[in-house]
Amino acid sequence: MSPESAPGRQGEAVEAVEVTRAGRWPKETVVSLAAFVVLWHLASMVLPPFVAPSWARIGKSLVDIAARPDFVAVTIARVATALLVSFVLGMALAIAMYRWAVLERYLMPLIKLLMAVPVLCWILFAVLWFKFREVRIAFILVVVCAPIFVIDVLDGMRGVSRDLRDMVRALRPTGRQFFAKLILPATVPAILTSWKVNLSLSIRVVTMAELVGATSGIGYALMQANETFSVADVFAWTVVLVLILMAANVAVTAVERRLLVWRE
Amino acid sequence: MAAVGEPSQMNPNDPVGNSGTRIAAVGEPSQKSDGIRVRALRKVFRQKGSGEAVVAIDRLDFDVERGEVVAIVGKTGCGKSTFFNILIGLEAPTEGRIEIGGRTPYGDFDAFRGRIGIVFQQDRLLPWRSLLDNVTLGLEIMGLDPAAQRTRAEHWLHRLGLDGFLRAFPSELSGGMRQRAALARAFAVNPEILLADEAFGHLDEVTARQIRAQFFEMVRAERKTAILVTHQLEEAIDTGDRLLVFGRPARPLADINLAAWPREELGQLRARIQTVIERNEPDPALAPREESLR
Repeated sequence: MSPESAPGRQGEAVEAVEVTRAGRWPKETVVSLAAFVVLWHLASMVLPPFVAPSWARIGKSLVDIAARPDFVAVTIARVATALLVSFVLGMALAIAMYRWAVLERYLMPLIKLLMAVPVLCWILFAVLWFKFREVRIAFILVVVCAPIFVIDVLDGMRGVSRDLRDMVRALRPTGRQFFAKLILPATVPAILTSWKVNLSLSIRVVTMAELVGATSGIGYALMQANETFSVADVFAWTVVLVLILMAANVAVTAVERRLLVWRE
Repeated sequence: MAAVGEPSQMNPNDPVGNSGTRIAAVGEPSQKSDGIRVRALRKVFRQKGSGEAVVAIDRLDFDVERGEVVAIVGKTGCGKSTFFNILIGLEAPTEGRIEIGGRTPYGDFDAFRGRIGIVFQQDRLLPWRSLLDNVTLGLEIMGLDPAAQRTRAEHWLHRLGLDGFLRAFPSELSGGMRQRAALARAFAVNPEILLADEAFGHLDEVTARQIRAQFFEMVRAERKTAILVTHQLEEAIDTGDRLLVFGRPARPLADINLAAWPREELGQLRARIQTVIERNEPDPALAPREESLR
């Protein structure tokens, strides 16, 4: 039976799914970026090079960076590893706290305490507590990102509607089935949102951590550029950081579109 | 015959699992193996703010025989939904008991897996699952193999006119189509008892009438026991074989065998029931049947 001839459609209309034009020209974005490029160019003609270097000088710095991609790779590897560890730790804690409310009552104050400590303090603690540089950077990233995963995922689990909970409970699932068939899939949007937040945060935090505790990576390169008063290099590394963040967001958005296709 | 809680076995001659009845091997004698017995049921809530006790159900007593189609009608807020939640085992009564086949839905919770089909006020489909996957949900929980799940789900979606939409997500469909999918989900587990809580009230009148008719047609064709909870008197009179009128707090004010009531007197009956509901007092002529409390 074809959809058109299905008796269930009589007198009813399938709601039209809004089709967004994926290839729409982002006019406003292009205009604002072009205005910034022109203003910077004008500033570079008036101001000295150590304040506003020309686009040509910045371009040369970008070419130099492209010639040594190891620093970029190291920073990306640090962020990816720390985010994966934070996610696994955050999910495990969130699930345990969801399962045992008593655990939540004891752990949540500590997690909120961790979140209230400024990143700079964590960097200082890491330098004081740990000898190895990679351990320091990983510690800083995990202690900043894991609590965000815990809070977001737990909120997502707790936010599953009473209606859906009752509907599934009335089918008499086991505890594991209830979690796998309702709670976990219902929490996917919260998990993806948490990834977006942590991606942006971790790029900024890793740069700060590398500024003081590393001999490689983008943060270290930024510190070197600062010591040689090379604003063009600082600008070029900033562009690289922004591009990394944008690429990461594109990747998460692609995953989100795939996993949350039911929302469109 | 499968024991309660065990996955049903597929009968090659009956891929959708409708032949015979899946009666539980409950292990204890019961005077009425499949009927519903409600005895001295009482539910009291404590208000969160004041701590004041609120009686939602006050000594509810009645039986529902196997294969009976009963409509329960009462004012909004009279405790119908509380009764419904106790009946499906989501809440415990404060006093008294409900027994289905000699077991209590709350105390013997897991024993009722696959035995009760429920249609809620809203469709309550899982938005991330396709229609097909929503209908297989109860079958997955029962542990049926994937091929059997699919066969049963497709059968019921076809029967409800949704075969062109197996892979559609709920957000892509109208309210009526979603409620049809909810009916398919309820019937797919091949339950002994079907319960509907204000299941058609949120739909427009034409769609509600169509889907309600489909629901009761399938209930009678499959010889299921069914209870429809509603606040709409017209709906209750149109659909049930028997009508229970609840007062506030929930207690039976009238118990009417609709099948025996002359058609030309239904208008007069409607007016009397409205009076009973408004006064919140039983009408002696429509009083609960003594024989229903065997």
